[in-house]
Amino acid sequence: MRDHVGEKSISMDVPENIQVQDLKTILAERYPKATEALEATLVSINREYAFAEDIIPDGAEVAMFPHVSGG
Amino acid sequence: MTEFPTIFLITEEELDLNDLLEQITLPSAGAACFFTGMVRGKTDRDGLLSQTEFLEYDAYVPMAEAKMQQVADEIRDRWPTVEGIAIVQRIGCLYPRTPTVLIACTAAHRDTGVFEAARYGIDRLKEIVPIWKKEVSLDGETWMEGEYTPKPGE
Repeated sequence: MRDHVGEKSISMDVPENIQVQDLKTILAERYPKATEALEATLVSINREYAFAEDIIPDGAEVAMFPHVSGG
Repeated sequence: MTEFPTIFLITEEELDLNDLLEQITLPSAGAACFFTGMVRGKTDRDGLLSQTEFLEYDAYVPMAEAKMQQVADEIRDRWPTVEGIAIVQRIGCLYPRTPTVLIACTAAHRDTGVFEAARYGIDRLKEIVPIWKKEVSLDGETWMEGEYTPKPGE
């Protein structure tokens, strides 16, 4: 997804009380090439795993990444 | 009560197994179980031998550290007899035969869960700790992707 967006991190303003799934929709509109990757991505808010209907609090650090493969 | 040592680390440095053992060994320890994984240079894929040149590891470090702490907490919940715990992931470009990851647990005796605790630790690391690896071979580069989807509360 980093390749589709062309940035490692971005800072953006979003509507108050936005849910994870709405943020993905906004990102897909802004970065159409990332649409497919966005569907499969895991999401974290402030370093905890987050899910479609979770609300993103003010000033949150949100990360989107593939299924982990450490070891 | 003695505080049990817990080490979690994401590093580009070579893993020093002896030093890690030293750090998690209390005077009351009589057993340690280590799991270490290394870069596999040759992989049998349905009868075809695939050669790996190197693996490139990347991590979301602050979250990975928090999730390593969570794995250690889960080990302590399940095996209260475990004394010391070390969870270490090496990142960067790593070549075949190089240790990349270490999970080690110490306890007073070998029959108090250290084998199971180390096994649990590596399994959980591969499920919830945000680290990724890219395989680089003569055929090209592939980001490897795990299969586990974390659930709420993980």
